[in-house]
Amino acid sequence: MNPQNKITQSQKLMVFVLSMTLYGLATLFTELIPSFQVGIVEFSVEYFLFIPLTLAMLFDPLSAALGAATGELVFSEIMLGQFGGLGELEKFITVTIGVFIAGRIVRNPQKRGMVAFASILGVTVQQLMGCAVDILKVQFAVEEFEAVPGLPESVFFTEGFACLNDILFSGILFCMLPTMFLVPKLYGKIEPLLGMKPRDEKTSLAGGVLPAKTILICIAAFAAAIAAELLASGGYELIDWEAAWAGSTANIIIAIIIAAVVSLIVIGVIRSRAAQRNEAGQR
Amino acid sequence: MSAVEIKNLTFTYPGAKEPILKNVSLEIEEGDFLAVVGNNGCGKSTLCKTLNGLIPHFILGDMEGEVRIEGVSTKEQEIGTLAKKVGYVYQDFENQIVCPTVLEDASYACLNYAMEDYEEKGREALEICGLASKVGDYVWQLSGGQKHLLALAGTAALSPDILILDEPIAQLDPMHAGRIYDILKELNEKYHKTVIVIEHHTGYIAKYCKNVLLMKDGGVKWKLSAKEGLRRVDELLESNIFPPQVTRAALQMKRAGILPESVVLPVDIEDGKKVFAPYLKETGPFRRETAESRASERKLENGGKLVSFDNVTVTYRAVKGEPPKIFDNFSLEIRKGEKIALIGSNGAGKSTMLKLMMGLIRPGVGRVTIRGKETGSISKEELGKTISMVYQNPEEMFIMDSIRRDVEYAMKVRKVENYEKRTDELLEMFRLTDLADRDGRLLSGGQMRRASLAIGIALNPEMLLLDEPTANLDIATRREIMKTLQMLKGITDTVVIATHDMQLVCDWAERIIVLSSGYVIADGPKEQIFADMYVRSQVGIRPPEIYDMGRELGILKPCFTIDEFIGCFGGGQNA
Amino acid sequence: MHKLTENILDKISIDFLRNQVLKNAYGNDDTVIAGLDPRILLVWYLFFGLVPWFMNDLVLLLCFFLFVVMTTRAARIAPLVLVLFCVGVFTQTGYLFIAALFFGGNTGTIVPLLVMTLKVAVVSLASITVFSGLDPDRLASGLLWYGCPGQLSFSISFAYRILPVLMEEFQNILLSYRMRGNPPDKSTFFGKIRYLGYQIKLIIQSFYPLMLNTAKRSRTTVEALELRGYRYSLQNPAVKRMKLAMLKVTRNDVIFVCVSAVWVAVSFILSAGLSNVI
Repeated sequence: MNPQNKITQSQKLMVFVLSMTLYGLATLFTELIPSFQVGIVEFSVEYFLFIPLTLAMLFDPLSAALGAATGELVFSEIMLGQFGGLGELEKFITVTIGVFIAGRIVRNPQKRGMVAFASILGVTVQQLMGCAVDILKVQFAVEEFEAVPGLPESVFFTEGFACLNDILFSGILFCMLPTMFLVPKLYGKIEPLLGMKPRDEKTSLAGGVLPAKTILICIAAFAAAIAAELLASGGYELIDWEAAWAGSTANIIIAIIIAAVVSLIVIGVIRSRAAQRNEAGQR
Repeated sequence: MSAVEIKNLTFTYPGAKEPILKNVSLEIEEGDFLAVVGNNGCGKSTLCKTLNGLIPHFILGDMEGEVRIEGVSTKEQEIGTLAKKVGYVYQDFENQIVCPTVLEDASYACLNYAMEDYEEKGREALEICGLASKVGDYVWQLSGGQKHLLALAGTAALSPDILILDEPIAQLDPMHAGRIYDILKELNEKYHKTVIVIEHHTGYIAKYCKNVLLMKDGGVKWKLSAKEGLRRVDELLESNIFPPQVTRAALQMKRAGILPESVVLPVDIEDGKKVFAPYLKETGPFRRETAESRASERKLENGGKLVSFDNVTVTYRAVKGEPPKIFDNFSLEIRKGEKIALIGSNGAGKSTMLKLMMGLIRPGVGRVTIRGKETGSISKEELGKTISMVYQNPEEMFIMDSIRRDVEYAMKVRKVENYEKRTDELLEMFRLTDLADRDGRLLSGGQMRRASLAIGIALNPEMLLLDEPTANLDIATRREIMKTLQMLKGITDTVVIATHDMQLVCDWAERIIVLSSGYVIADGPKEQIFADMYVRSQVGIRPPEIYDMGRELGILKPCFTIDEFIGCFGGGQNA
Repeated sequence: MHKLTENILDKISIDFLRNQVLKNAYGNDDTVIAGLDPRILLVWYLFFGLVPWFMNDLVLLLCFFLFVVMTTRAARIAPLVLVLFCVGVFTQTGYLFIAALFFGGNTGTIVPLLVMTLKVAVVSLASITVFSGLDPDRLASGLLWYGCPGQLSFSISFAYRILPVLMEEFQNILLSYRMRGNPPDKSTFFGKIRYLGYQIKLIIQSFYPLMLNTAKRSRTTVEALELRGYRYSLQNPAVKRMKLAMLKVTRNDVIFVCVSAVWVAVSFILSAGLSNVI
């Protein structure tokens, strides 16, 4: 056993807390920095993803990624009441995956090229997933999506553009450049403050850069993200389809009651699962 | 049975070349009130962290030897079991508080360890620590001193048999410091806890502690009863610990032949009275007039008005209910060339006053002006040339990745000519040349302070504001800071210091402003302020011990230094 | 453009922001909403957060909207959060409308978009009522009851603890930059753009010291957490039971549920009646 190279549970917690508080604070600001529009093109300081990216490259990537996602959820969603329910799960998962992948592929944080590539890759992954989900979301939310004149094109255009814009504008300006600036500067300085050794080729990873298992988990998580988003915003196709008979009041009421019952069942399932978990005495 | 037993303990931090603790063997009795002293970096904090199991359970490194708590080795106990036996209050206690409300935080540990009566335990601990009236409050509503008490309560709630406090009073005014120690004393005597404090204020050691442990270079030098330990003046001074002024004065007098060899050195005023009284020669009030005339002279010397507060009223944004008023109709004038000490208890409005001058807070009513211009209307960048502030927490001053770049930053972006040369000079002046390429945050406390002062005066501001420049520093480093302040002469001649450090006030200040809940209750030279018993009782300021010793002996002229005091016995120089 | 540069650091001071967030979190703990049982409120939220998505009836949505506006009022939400809400609703649907017009849409596009806007608004206001109106600790307990991991409820309560501290530190660091820095002249148009860029650069740069300082802090915090049994609490079901023991359904909860149910029923009758008339 080599205790010096192993990251302890409490060190992971430190990274989690660090990433959560810092990224949380940053998202709180970005909620408030106004975006400005030139025509229909929106330039927004989308987020300060460079913070978790930097931390993920220096420390344990998973803790940093989870910390960042939690931080955003808690600070900007819950604290400011911008919580979008299940839909937030989508952002949570995509941010986690993006940051995790970026942090995972950096072997030597002192190589600027590597850092730059990883950070832009992380952003791209996160943005593409977010974009795909967004398009699907509008498709489900607006009934007879195709029938509304101009809507499908505008959705594809705005979402696609927003995605490209976020990758190029936010991605380079607010993620890649700051990460390139911060990682080498912090390397070797911040680790001792947490009582850790700086990452090097040996300590960075066990196993390959991106083992197949990791990729599979990422894909599965992304699928879950889409499902959550659609469940949250799209509602069930079912209801749209039944809109034909929903003319009568009684039917609507029945539908509502069904919805209420479904939500109660969902709660029940969550509850019992939680209870089982507790019995299993998991952490 | 001893509460703590340490055998041949050696500990090395990962990556360090030398062990920080070297073959330490030690026993601490149950019910002891022990002060651990030693210079910075001698391993005091590390030693304490071995007691609560953080070492070896969470902090990795090579540990040899054994630490036994109540007879059981820490290696064999889980951290949870140990936490119920040993409580630890950090020096940066603020970060130890993890819950938003007071009661929650106090009972947090009890809840986590699944004690059914967790809330009761929390309340009880708050009661003992004097926070009973704050039970329902949020943490951010508390003052610094109260937060410290809360950190203590959160630890004490588990009712551990051993309590360890790392520099408990470093940031507190004397009144709050006294309160912390009174509570510790109660815990020690009434609740029979073993209390261990890391402390360098020897005055408090003399008054409260039973034993004192001197550490040097990672080893234990000796453990003696408090009085006996404090009498070993030379050994303490070698480790940059300054024994009580009374003790030092007595030793000097002994060496000068004023006191006989047989005299046992006093460690507090009580002892001092018995020792000094028979040898007192003069009590004459010959200095009093000169002090006052000096003060009036100085007023004439000083230049014109620099900053003025005209009927300022400041209210803070309230989260709920009426906004609290910090200042109500506050007026004050600061002239060029003054050396002002701003004193008052925590929360009296000192920081608010500094912030008003920096234009960080705008008054609700009234005006704060610098040279007739309102501070709020001058841009911060402009203001930086006239007035500069050094924060209480020097870490917030470091914005670049090395000391050199921090010092030169302001000059560089303003395109000051020859800024490189000036940077070199500043680094040289503050003895930072060797540290120039290090990151400020990774330096020791004293080095950080020096660096923050160098940053503060880089632009040659006319006026410098210092917020608690000596907080958290050991006494040797404080002296160094005072020396540095003397060096400012000729560069920046108007200086305002907000401080609790009365030694600093006595040695340096020419004008003292005493604030109490937003009002100036006294304003004048030190002789006048310290003689005013009403003011002293109002704000709980304490002059240096030697001053009180002099008064206790009936010496009429105020003695602010040991030399002045010895002068009354016909020795030393009247400086 | 001018407004934008003003906004970033001058108008919205961090002090103001901090005050608003704290006000939102702790300033309204004596309202009716804050006194309700978090479990009930979360179910309530699930209803008002899901059901509107299935409805396309304008009257019904308006009724729902009115109701959540009232609950939001009752929760005494800080103004800043409401402003954010309005901006949020607009960015979600308003710009879509403009874009749709651009691509040859007509006023017929407005009805589905209005329905969608109402849906978004109802859901958002319901979420603001629950998540901003509730005390963070009660919210955390409520989530814990529904089986959310203990880490999340810890994160919420810790976030509220640390936020004022972090903001003050951030404020001080930014101030260090501002007092020692020398920003570009902002009198011309290009000057303004440069000034904006300078400000953003400052914020990014200030994360370098902030990261190091926070790293120092979080070490103490985590050590203290370990000592204070944080890890034990995650493993021990008894701790969870004790934490949740304080949750009790009171008469107010019952009244709240009844009022909601009656309101929803009346809304249906109203919408049905109106559609019959038409």
